[in-house]
Amino acid sequence: MKISFMIVSLFFLILAARAETPKKSSGGKGNIVYKYKKYETFDLGNLEVKGDIIAPGDLSVQERQRTKMERGLLERKDFDEEVRKDIKNLR
Amino acid sequence: MVNLRILLAALMLFPALSQGSVARAEKIYFQKGISNRNEAVTYELMRSKYYFSATVFAKERLIEDKPIDERFEKSLTTLILKTGTATFMPLSAGILGKHNSQAMSFVLGIKQFNKNRFKSAIKALRSIKRGHKFAPEKYMMMGASQNFLARYSEATSSYKNCMRTAEISSKASSHEKLKRYYDILAESCLIHLARMEYKRNDYKKAVQAFQDIPKTSYRWPSLLLEKAWGNYYLADYNRTLGLLVTYKSPLLRSYFYPEAEVLTALSYYRLCLYDDALKTIEQYHSVYKARSDALKGILVKYKKSHTFFLKMMMQPIEKLEEKNPFIRNLMTQTRKKIKFNLDLANYKKVANEYKYLKKKKQTQFISKLTEAVKRSKDWQTRHLNHYVKKEMFDFLNDVHRFSYEMFNIKLEIMFKKRDLLYKNKTLISDRGRGSRDNLNRAQNEHFYDFRGAFWADELGDYSFGLKSNCEEVKVKKNGGGV
Repeated sequence: MKISFMIVSLFFLILAARAETPKKSSGGKGNIVYKYKKYETFDLGNLEVKGDIIAPGDLSVQERQRTKMERGLLERKDFDEEVRKDIKNLR
Repeated sequence: MVNLRILLAALMLFPALSQGSVARAEKIYFQKGISNRNEAVTYELMRSKYYFSATVFAKERLIEDKPIDERFEKSLTTLILKTGTATFMPLSAGILGKHNSQAMSFVLGIKQFNKNRFKSAIKALRSIKRGHKFAPEKYMMMGASQNFLARYSEATSSYKNCMRTAEISSKASSHEKLKRYYDILAESCLIHLARMEYKRNDYKKAVQAFQDIPKTSYRWPSLLLEKAWGNYYLADYNRTLGLLVTYKSPLLRSYFYPEAEVLTALSYYRLCLYDDALKTIEQYHSVYKARSDALKGILVKYKKSHTFFLKMMMQPIEKLEEKNPFIRNLMTQTRKKIKFNLDLANYKKVANEYKYLKKKKQTQFISKLTEAVKRSKDWQTRHLNHYVKKEMFDFLNDVHRFSYEMFNIKLEIMFKKRDLLYKNKTLISDRGRGSRDNLNRAQNEHFYDFRGAFWADELGDYSFGLKSNCEEVKVKKNGGGV
């Protein structure tokens, strides 16, 4: 029992030791360090865009009549239903 | 008092007196070798006033191929008068038309009309002669059929014949109720003529015809709405409003039509009196919602019952007073309808006949009669109950349908108001009020000032004197019109 406990502990120690060892790049140059530009300036005034202006010189909107929404208000075309009822009222 | 005693004695003697004829009818029924069994049994049962029982054998006789004679033809007319046309309605068109009987042609005419077969209805009705008891009804139905077939000149002639024959029949009737029935028929034909003119867009003629219906007429209150529509299309909105305000009188409190409220709002709208129209719409929702809820409560609870509504209608008026006043008024309105009264009379007759038959010894013959009359009674009960229920459902549906129409008017008013705002305009006056200068009046029309009370002789002759507010003016800087 003791022997097997010692074997397992040794196995974990080896694994931990391997994990702590720093990896090396394929070229073998060590850790990669990225550096960024500290300042970058754009001079917008000097930028030049080539092309033609196609927007109209003055803005205009064509006039149109306002759409009138016609709602069907109640209409009474006939009293045919009442005529039918009268006939049903016969003896 | 003496009359009442005679009546009571006659009622008590009724089963005893009729016993002889029923027994004779039974004897004939079982007699061997008799050729006209059904006809003979019909006569015997009619003699003892068992009319609903007699129709059983009359119908069996009609199925036979042998031609019928004048005596049986007369009996058929009597049976229709005593039991109603509905008793013969189950017979097929082939059977109704095969004997060249005027009474059966009348039933066939109604049957075909109800199925929208107007040409067939006219064909069947033509065989009824001018002097026949059903002549006024014949001409009325022919007029309606020709009207629906757009044969207007023929319809006019039929309606005029209907009025003439109904007047003759009314004068000849000794019974008060029958006299009233023919008077109503004559008025109905005049109303149909007016409706036909209305349909043909001749509103002036239609309004003139409506004007000829006397105020004493049974049908006059319900016609106010139709007359108001005629005036509306003649652009006489003041007269329309005046006619509709009549429904607010205490005398006509049992007449309420949601359509009348919509027409009131429409008339205000046409006069550009938007605030008045909106007020009418608001009132409609507050008044009719309560009515609709009260009615819904009853309809939902008893909608499957075959007897509840009939029982409710037969309760004495004192009992009805306990119910919602609106429901009571609605029932009063139904009670005044001719159809209801005719059907109710038939129902009472068939219930009475059934009662006497049940008391008799149930032989094979009497059992046959009892069963047939019971079927008739059950049908009449369901039919009447359905009629009352339908009247109530129709009202409920009308409230919802016209609520939608009111909503449309409201939207239209909002649109008009927004349009004025965009145009930076306003109507000439916010409240154009009454003046006699704005009144249109025909020679046969009256005008009364409304002084806070309705007078019976003035009803139906009111007219508003509102000035149209439709003129648009530019808005002043301080917000008013120019």
